[in-house]
Amino acid sequence: MSLTEQSAPSVKDFMDDPIGFFGESLTQMHSIPRTELEALQRKAMSIRFQQHRDSIEMLRKLADRLGITEVNDLNDVVPLFFSHTAFKSYPAALIDNKRFDLMTKWLDKLTSHDLSGVDTRGCNGIDEWIDRLDEQTPLEVITSSGTTGTLSILPKDKHGAREGMVLWKICLFQTFGVEPTAEQLNPAVEVIWPNYASGKLGHLRIANMIKGGFTGGDESKFHALYSDSIDTDLMFLASKMRAAASRGELDRLVIDPVLAARKDEFIAMQMRQPEELDVFFTEISEKLRGKRVFMIGTYNLMYDVAKAGLERGITGVFAEDSVILTGGGAKGFVLPDGYMDIIRDFLGVDRIQEGYGFSEQSAFHFACTEGRYHVQPWVIPFVLDPETSQPLPRTGRQTGRAAVYDVLLKAHWGGVISGDEVTIDWDLVCPCGQTSVAFEHDIIRYSEKQGVEDDRITCAATHEVHNEAVNFMKEFES
Amino acid sequence: MSAAFTVPLFLRGEVITDDLVSFGTRAGGSEFQAPDMSKYVERLPLASPMQMSDLYDVGFEEILDVLEAVGDALVFETNTHLQEAYEAALLANPLPAAMLKNSYRILQPLFARANVLEVADSQVGLDYLNGWVPQRLADGRELRVRAFGSRVLHIPAGNGGLVSAVTILRSVIARCDTIIKAPSNDPLTAIAIARTLADVAPDHPITKHLVVGYWKGGDLSVEENLYQPQHIEKIVAWGGLASVKHVTRYIQPGLELIALDPKRSATIIGAEAFEDEATMRDVAGRAAVDIGVANQEGCANARVIYVMSGTDAAGIANANRLGEMIYQALIALPEFISTPPLHPSRELFEHLEASRMADDWYHVIGGEHREGAIVVSQFDSAVDYSAMLSGRVANIVPVDTLDKVTAAVNAYTQTIGIYPESLKRQLRDQLPLFGAQRLTTLGYACNVAIAMPQDAIEPIRRMCKWIVDEECDPAVVIPLWRLGAAPTGPDADLAQV
Repeated sequence: MSLTEQSAPSVKDFMDDPIGFFGESLTQMHSIPRTELEALQRKAMSIRFQQHRDSIEMLRKLADRLGITEVNDLNDVVPLFFSHTAFKSYPAALIDNKRFDLMTKWLDKLTSHDLSGVDTRGCNGIDEWIDRLDEQTPLEVITSSGTTGTLSILPKDKHGAREGMVLWKICLFQTFGVEPTAEQLNPAVEVIWPNYASGKLGHLRIANMIKGGFTGGDESKFHALYSDSIDTDLMFLASKMRAAASRGELDRLVIDPVLAARKDEFIAMQMRQPEELDVFFTEISEKLRGKRVFMIGTYNLMYDVAKAGLERGITGVFAEDSVILTGGGAKGFVLPDGYMDIIRDFLGVDRIQEGYGFSEQSAFHFACTEGRYHVQPWVIPFVLDPETSQPLPRTGRQTGRAAVYDVLLKAHWGGVISGDEVTIDWDLVCPCGQTSVAFEHDIIRYSEKQGVEDDRITCAATHEVHNEAVNFMKEFES
Repeated sequence: MSAAFTVPLFLRGEVITDDLVSFGTRAGGSEFQAPDMSKYVERLPLASPMQMSDLYDVGFEEILDVLEAVGDALVFETNTHLQEAYEAALLANPLPAAMLKNSYRILQPLFARANVLEVADSQVGLDYLNGWVPQRLADGRELRVRAFGSRVLHIPAGNGGLVSAVTILRSVIARCDTIIKAPSNDPLTAIAIARTLADVAPDHPITKHLVVGYWKGGDLSVEENLYQPQHIEKIVAWGGLASVKHVTRYIQPGLELIALDPKRSATIIGAEAFEDEATMRDVAGRAAVDIGVANQEGCANARVIYVMSGTDAAGIANANRLGEMIYQALIALPEFISTPPLHPSRELFEHLEASRMADDWYHVIGGEHREGAIVVSQFDSAVDYSAMLSGRVANIVPVDTLDKVTAAVNAYTQTIGIYPESLKRQLRDQLPLFGAQRLTTLGYACNVAIAMPQDAIEPIRRMCKWIVDEECDPAVVIPLWRLGAAPTGPDADLAQV
């Protein structure tokens, strides 16, 4: 057997089943020598590009226009990167006019899955449409909202969600340098979810994933702050409101009658929240005190919960070996100095893990003991010139715009440019022992850096934005 | 980083360059220095309103003489103040050199005698500026009305030197005491004109009633001191939503805001544009100018262009063809009018690339080198990022009926360029109800005259204080005391008022 024949199947395993390839081991994922990994990545990238060029129309058109028929060197893929705008390039009028048939047609061009058979007849809103896609296709779409009055719609799939959940488990419950135990591979802990119980927004889809995955299948171990679901159509309204306000057109904004008819339901949900907050804390302090938990939330969400908990006199509430994950940057919120100490005081957990990522990717990159975010092996990181998007050299210490090519992604194209300024020290051998390339800890959005008023609606502000839309509806006599 | 240039304080004829502190420019990169205004703020306003009386010893002929002399001295090749202003703008402004240089060439005609007279007479009235205008009311009283200048603080926009020049022109016409906060993206043009004024008319009352300086917008040590009714009566604020909003916190009885706030403009092209090839080319050329002037940095520039082509296949094809023609005309514009933008918005071009991929809905022409672009919607709605359009990127929207267009006009709409004239006449009684402020011939959106209202107000009239002198002869105008003496009379209630 020649070397190429021998290596071919291993690339296939690497890109299609990294969990198996790395033997479910965090240590193995981040111990692979760089040159060996890069060779795998390059081959995987080349293969995935060909697959996606055949199956994703928008990528094919872009590649054709640029005259790119193959990608061999890592930098070859950079001109093909999508920015966040690609996932909201549909006209918002399609949603206003409930043309979910045309929305499906648009989405079909962004995914490798075939959506031609999807029946959208009678679809009355975004959530209904996404439910149809959930039922009729391999997709598990996630959304996020922005300022131009549109929502990003990312065609993730169920396979990716399942895989992502296992990868999360591996990264969160294992310790680098120690091979996993059976308990770590199948943890059954109480899950604290300081958020809405469900919804189609990226971070809420995760809830569904870990509800079964982290609790050993016992969903009663899942504890959400709010029992309700975030309504995507309401988030779309909030997004439109902000865009209309910036154009001086708030008076022209029309609320979809189907949504308006649910006004009382939304107001009731808003009214329930203070009570649910009390119930949440009662449950934590009475039933879950001292237990090992998994809890996840953005910095500001964690801080808010910790502060509210401390105000109720609750401290050191969980077991010391609980798994806590936070991240997401401050995202426009100003947190007081020492906010991490407040979070630790409330939780009673010293080690708080941090993750960096964006919803276009398959998984987070987790911070090591040195505070660096080690890039997952199936993700090829790039540092680009922030203005021209030309790749900066993969040597020395480089600061610029983060971009990644994620070879694991099957349902949509894995090359994306972020809005974040990052630093990578390409020559660094991290003292934590992981061989993987890492983003330095300090990451900032370019919009924040330039002092641009960034009123993007991020996952950190879901609660505020949701309330904003409900309040707006209250003013309307429907 | 060393300071690239200095913005002096022009204080009523005196040029001050002491107590310098550093500031960043809007274009980023370079820094400049200016006197620490907190040290001078007390000297900026007039010590007493009585000091304005010298302006009334100056006849209008003399005002015309001084302004004409200023205009004659504002020749770019020989005026070192203007040359300095140009050098500073190169660092502080996003516009390319040729365009900036050109913006100084239009200053001289602005101050020409005939132009000043036309502005003064049409926008205020010479009689009101120069004396008491008599008028007899129906009740018999004799009125005399005069327009007095006020103590005005100006916060002009910095997109081109014209705004600073117009600010000074308007102030002088109205005999105002004028304090100008220089814009950071055009930091020296107002100073250059002021220094030219001091050169041609040293110690003249007009020179002594002009202050130009720089402080950072939001600098409370300056603003809270100066923005007080005892120092200034009116603030004329141009520019961005945030800066105008910020100024409103100082507005109180006795201190009025004249807002020339941020606006966007639109374009409407009638079906007549498609009559023949030559007409289409003409229309495309005009639309390209409305988009391209000064690289679409202004509020009057065309951005969303509604085209009455219809939305059937033939209509869309026509809109696309017009889009191609506009793009060709746009990139062929001479560089003193328009060039590829120096600082294109990355966010906008990301949206543009996304639209290019969504070709069921949008046809994107050009833009691959960020030189400008035309996005033709393939249905009857504007792109969702229309508020970001800048740097020579416009959106053509084919429509079937005019109500699609009126739906897009709102309180933020300033200019609407229209083709042909007959369509303009048809629309002019409706569009203002929605918010449009200026309807003009296609191709003239950025060709703005001063002798006309701006942003639906008359700024110079607003800068004046309209003072009334009444003369009431008790034999003619029935006096209240006489009504009071006859409480049973039919006008008794009036006397109580």
